[in-house]
Amino acid sequence: MLDRRQFLKLGGATAFATLFGGCDKVQRRLIPFVIPPENYTLGEALWYASGCDQCPAGCGIVVRVSEGRAKKIEGNPLHPVNRGKLCARGQAALQALYHPERFSRPMKRSGPRGSGAYAPVSWEEALSLLMEPLKKIKAEAPSSLLMLTGPMRGHAGLVAGRFMKSFGSPNRVAWDPFGPDAMLSANAAAYGVRDLPEHDLANARYLLSFSGDFLETGISPVHYAREYGRMRGDRETIRGKFVHFGPRLSMTAAAADLFLPCAPGTEGFVALGIAHVMVRDRLTAASSAAGRLADDLGAWSPEEVEKKTGVHAHDIAAAAEEFARNQPGLAIAGTTAATCADGAFHCSAVALLNVLAGNVGKPGGLSFPNRAQAFAKYGPEAGLLSPSPESGYAGTRAALEKMRGGAFRIAFLSGATNPAFTLPPSLKFGEALSKVPFVVAFASFLDETTSLADLVLPVPTALETWGDDLAPVGHAGAITLRQPVVEPFHDTRSMPDILIAAAKELGGEPAKALPWGSFRECIEKAYGGPGGEMEKALQRGGFLGEASSPRSAVRTGGVSLPKAADRPLEGDPKAFPLALHLYPSIALYDGRGANLPWLQEMPDPVSTAVWRNWIEINPKTAAGLGLAEGDGVTVTSPSGKITAHVAFNPGIAPDVAAMPLGQGHTKYGKYANGRGENPISLLPAGETYALQATRVALVKTKLSTALARTGHPEGQWKVKNMM
Amino acid sequence: MKHTWAMAIDLDRCTGCGACVVACNAENNIPTIGETEAGKNRLMHWIRVNRYWEGEFPEAQAVYLPMPCMQCERAPCELVCPVYATYHNEDGLNAMVYNRCIGTRYCANNCPYSVRVFNWYDYKWEKPLDEQLSPDLTVRSRGVMEKCTFCIQRIRRAKETAAEEGREIRDGDVVPACAQTCPPGALLFGDLADPHSEITRKLKDPRRFRLMEHLGTEPRVVYLKRQKGAGR
Repeated sequence: MLDRRQFLKLGGATAFATLFGGCDKVQRRLIPFVIPPENYTLGEALWYASGCDQCPAGCGIVVRVSEGRAKKIEGNPLHPVNRGKLCARGQAALQALYHPERFSRPMKRSGPRGSGAYAPVSWEEALSLLMEPLKKIKAEAPSSLLMLTGPMRGHAGLVAGRFMKSFGSPNRVAWDPFGPDAMLSANAAAYGVRDLPEHDLANARYLLSFSGDFLETGISPVHYAREYGRMRGDRETIRGKFVHFGPRLSMTAAAADLFLPCAPGTEGFVALGIAHVMVRDRLTAASSAAGRLADDLGAWSPEEVEKKTGVHAHDIAAAAEEFARNQPGLAIAGTTAATCADGAFHCSAVALLNVLAGNVGKPGGLSFPNRAQAFAKYGPEAGLLSPSPESGYAGTRAALEKMRGGAFRIAFLSGATNPAFTLPPSLKFGEALSKVPFVVAFASFLDETTSLADLVLPVPTALETWGDDLAPVGHAGAITLRQPVVEPFHDTRSMPDILIAAAKELGGEPAKALPWGSFRECIEKAYGGPGGEMEKALQRGGFLGEASSPRSAVRTGGVSLPKAADRPLEGDPKAFPLALHLYPSIALYDGRGANLPWLQEMPDPVSTAVWRNWIEINPKTAAGLGLAEGDGVTVTSPSGKITAHVAFNPGIAPDVAAMPLGQGHTKYGKYANGRGENPISLLPAGETYALQATRVALVKTKLSTALARTGHPEGQWKVKNMM
Repeated sequence: MKHTWAMAIDLDRCTGCGACVVACNAENNIPTIGETEAGKNRLMHWIRVNRYWEGEFPEAQAVYLPMPCMQCERAPCELVCPVYATYHNEDGLNAMVYNRCIGTRYCANNCPYSVRVFNWYDYKWEKPLDEQLSPDLTVRSRGVMEKCTFCIQRIRRAKETAAEEGREIRDGDVVPACAQTCPPGALLFGDLADPHSEITRKLKDPRRFRLMEHLGTEPRVVYLKRQKGAGR
């Protein structure tokens, strides 16, 4: 390790040569981003470009580094995904780097599993603890190795994939609670492309959103928020109109010109109603030539749809009329529609609108660039590097079954998606994992999943690692490069580094599959190494200008009517009168942000609550139940029971109760623990990962806690006081 | 050259996402106070995003209003400070001299926008979270009032850079942390004394209004109303 004085001396002597690195402590050159090297002066900050990993959106960042310490994260102005902008979560990654509770060295379990009792061990000991059983099962039963990670992209995915393949185990599962499975199968059905499209919001004249909370969470919130701003205000004479359908007035819904509440889980039927009007009145060329679809849509007249969804027939007809007349336009389905039990149906119905309006492949509409082209040189392995978009719920459930059957002897756990926290408790993740004799976690923090591990190998945060990334949307094949912007803060090694080292020691196939000395070498080999193209790319934050050709295979006609499987919410409406609507929190996402104080203390846009979760209900519903703002309630579903505080949302349907995800941690450190309960425990374990799956009943309860909110008690309802 | 720094907040673009709040935390060494203190309305944020409800279901609407310090031209806070800790600086900003502040809190009491926050304690950054502290500005101690400065450290840096290069400050040289990060581009900062700056152009918009105009505080933060309808 360098001390600060030595670090500065080095910086001064060679202008910008500093000693950064993963686990290889070799001196190489790093180039500052904005300030050219000759301007290097002590006390002057340097900016380094890298990539954000706080959610799967894959934004580019620049980090202000002052005397060897990262001080602030901003968006990379050159990066096509976010163009200099960054959300609250991305900026708070700084607190993950300096978190007091980070693992600073390898840990070996010293108490019973799940107790969180660990004793520090050296890296040598940790690696021998890892290698001994690994070598044994490589010889005896290689398929008894399980790797359960979050979504992995770029060469980290390549290393993990090749390691498992060469080891001889097919059991690699990636879990992402908000993975876009439903959208992918809908896109495959509607457009013939199993991928995520680019939505050109900035040039759209009309936007229909079906529970699409694209401004807060979703696939790429910063990208779409920027595009939304441009849609509203960047054109001289056009201001794009935005209409939102959904069961709850979310932050995104509040941005809409018109918010039309619909019953939860009926977003797709509203879309069918709009499609019906478009076809019936022959509003566009594609809808005039709808053929068989016209007959199939016959049953979904606005009047019928009104009965099912609660949206007025005239509103549906007006939306259809406006959508068809104001081209180019877009129809977007969001996470909360996609996480209905029937998610694929809702997404397909929405995709149908884009097809009928003829918005596919037009500016201001949607397109499918061939992003995977960036990694085409890997041939059949390209899939390992591309955004691995499947949520892996089916794979995770199958893996849990196999675990119970004793199929696995070693499990590798990695990633921030925390399955012990984000999977419904009825799946009994912990119990299944207890059947695996040896569990290794690659982690920065103790959380509900990591605490079940026998051995914890500490990994660096994104600000301390090498790597590359291909964002899911917002670019045409731009590759983000990650570099360590600061000297690693603790004695950590990245997961790919450990896998490469393990492969070397295993010898044979694995050593041949992972021929590099370190992960950094892998990245350098892939991108031309120092001194070449890569050096310039590192300064800019990656290969950002790569244009890819559009896919030719997009189908824009001949769509059939998506079928609804009609899966009712669990629970008898009499005993459980409210439909439970769960949504990702803008601050905490799937719960990974809950240990960062900045995010806990950022007031929620809708409820203005901090540090604790809440349940949103309509004031009229509350009046019926005798509940006031901040009151404690017991929330009961057929599968579970939790408590929460009440927050009013006058824009939520009276028969809906909504809760944000992300709070309710029990083992995620002092900033996260004990801040309410996890609403996922109310969910049944279904065929798909459905967040909109159950009904609940509320009963007033006295709680010892209080909900801290930042809204002014007097002014909260009266904006006119301010104007 | 004399500057008239101003901020335009386009409510037609603001989504209420809170990125500005966290950007400000990072830029200005703003302490985290914890749940109990937050429950007493003592959050230290220099910019907050007010949320107001309008109407009832199904027509209910949420209205977002980002609130930094208004940097009033005729600032009610300055008049009541007995020790001149808050004063009007050469650029027309309401600046704070922390060392002078004796914590009477008269200024907060007199601020119609409630944007001044008070250090009730010496807030601690648990090690090593203190490594994130910006070297550009001080960490305030107990008993001191603080508030948004329009990122005065960034203004100074831009002035120094411009002076070094022997030129005037150009439009876009100064961007406060909140405006820098704002994803939909709702916040715009600039110099109203420069007739060609983007903000001068933007504020010719008939949608402009200032908060509580009737008080005569002449805020330097100007809002642009939310629009309705498709065209303009």
